[in-house]
Amino acid sequence: MHVNYWREVHTSGPGRIGLGLLLLVAIAAVLAPLLTSYQPAAYTGAPFMAPSAQHWLGTNDVGQDIWTRLLYGARTSLAVGGGVALLSLCLSVMVGCSSALLGGLYDRLMMRLVDALIVIPPVIVAILAAAYLRPNTVLLIVLLSLFLWPGGARVVRAQTLSLKERMPVYAARTFGAGQLHLLFNHIIPDLGPILIALMIQDARRAVFMEAGLSFLGICDPTVVSWGKMMQHALKFVYLDVWRWWLLPTGFALSLTVMGFTFTGFALETALNPRLRKEAGHADN
Amino acid sequence: MVFTGYLNKIHIKSGYIMQECVQARHVPIRNKVFKKASVLNRASLLNYVVALLIILTMNFFIPRLMPGDPLQAIYGNEALLVMTPELQEELIHRFSLDRPLGEQYASYLLSLCRGDLGHSYYYNAPVLKVISGFLPWTLLLTGLALVISTLVGFLLGVESGSRRGRPLDQFLLGGIMLFSGFPDFFMGIMLLLFFGVFLSLAPLSGALTPYAGHSGLMLVVDLLHHLVLPLAALVLVRLTATYLLTRNTMITTLGEAFILTAKAKGCPERVIRYRHAGRNTLLPVVTAAGLQFAHLVTGTLFVEIVFSYPGLGSLLYKSLLTRDYPLMAGILLVLTVVVLTINLLLDIFYPKLDPRVAKCT
Repeated sequence: MHVNYWREVHTSGPGRIGLGLLLLVAIAAVLAPLLTSYQPAAYTGAPFMAPSAQHWLGTNDVGQDIWTRLLYGARTSLAVGGGVALLSLCLSVMVGCSSALLGGLYDRLMMRLVDALIVIPPVIVAILAAAYLRPNTVLLIVLLSLFLWPGGARVVRAQTLSLKERMPVYAARTFGAGQLHLLFNHIIPDLGPILIALMIQDARRAVFMEAGLSFLGICDPTVVSWGKMMQHALKFVYLDVWRWWLLPTGFALSLTVMGFTFTGFALETALNPRLRKEAGHADN
Repeated sequence: MVFTGYLNKIHIKSGYIMQECVQARHVPIRNKVFKKASVLNRASLLNYVVALLIILTMNFFIPRLMPGDPLQAIYGNEALLVMTPELQEELIHRFSLDRPLGEQYASYLLSLCRGDLGHSYYYNAPVLKVISGFLPWTLLLTGLALVISTLVGFLLGVESGSRRGRPLDQFLLGGIMLFSGFPDFFMGIMLLLFFGVFLSLAPLSGALTPYAGHSGLMLVVDLLHHLVLPLAALVLVRLTATYLLTRNTMITTLGEAFILTAKAKGCPERVIRYRHAGRNTLLPVVTAAGLQFAHLVTGTLFVEIVFSYPGLGSLLYKSLLTRDYPLMAGILLVLTVVVLTINLLLDIFYPKLDPRVAKCT
């Protein structure tokens, strides 16, 4: 039972690639002001300049530095990814754990709600809501979280159901531990690795969806976003600028998503006892 | 789209089924078993009804949360300017917009039952009529993408899972996971730039060559010529979920006792791979295909925009740009209904594929 998940993930090939990519994007986002001397919205030179020592990736149609915008765009992507991951995880844990511990009618009602919500495509609802309401980053995070939590709630509920029958929990209950004590001291710590896997999965989907929505023009007009940059760059595809405007932006987005994919895959392999055991055999 | 999710969902689903199995076996009277079956079907139908109601309610309430009177909120200021007073009067009357909220909701649901989704001011036509002109292209693209990506993903997954750890498996795993990292629309852009702009092999936009007047075989060739790039973009990105699921299920299935029996009998390798292991692997893949369909539809919207393919995605983009709110709401509603229907059909179809489920429930 005692598997060192961290070691399993960061020693496996995909895990190492994934963590490396995520670290790279995180550094770019955090250290953006140090890595460039321009502001993302400032007009820094002539429009459509080719890459040079001053402008590593050239300038766009209004003379903004593309490299700077790429760095600041990472902030938006990671903020939405992280925000959605945290918020939808909270919802998943709240609903999943409470319905597993309380059971009965409440459990059945909640699981019915989960079953219904899970078939609704989140992007489609977000487009509708964001088109009417004024789109901003916080609203986007809330909207995406509202439709991403059901999958996690199912997983959390199933795990909690099995955890609450385990010896330590049973022993704690005979000593008179309340439901909340059981939840916070026994069940949530044991859920740890699964919660992280869920967060990675939600973050990945959120980054994907944020890019898609801003590609459609549904995003906070004041922030720099990779999706919006690509949509903008696509209008000038008849010029040569796509080489240093469209492609780097797309690859930055893809690398972020791949970082989540590979890390998630490594963690999934470590978490799934069947896959892990087989891997051990293969190594032997 | 996400592998952990699928695996867990499916494990849980089969968990439910196992529970039901155990319970059913303890029930001595056959009647009770049959009762359970009908209850389960009704329950899954209820899920879809609840999901549809959630969407309808959101569709109804979000515009009405806006300031201003409902007509202004639903249609937007630009639309009100170009609308004649007669049309405004008619719309207010048709959707009882001057009545209390409860009555408005009832009238909204009633008009939906009549197939009345409102009036598109940009096209100056009923929304449903506009949508029905664009829907077939989206269905063609999505349907083909679903079938091809499931089929190819399954075949590659079987081959890869039965060769775990060997070079072909490593190559496929790495390559396909790399593809899945590209968002659909970026994959579309790259294919468009490479095959359309750089090599000039494929047309840049549209679904048919305009004014070409093709018929018969030429029409089909022209159609496929326009279809191949958007379809390739979707299939390449959407392949991963099916592939990974098949591969993982394949690995666990190959460890089971009946595979050993088949090997001991002297079954050829290929027969074991497809008849014994592959068939069992197909079940979770079909379940996942339904869940994946929602993501596929969303992906199709973006890919259509990139390739200016005349489907609902392009229409949605246009309605966003022109602020044609009723058209937008109508498109999203139609798409959700399509997704729900496909999932419902799969739920009905599933027991036929897996006799164990039918017997249990």
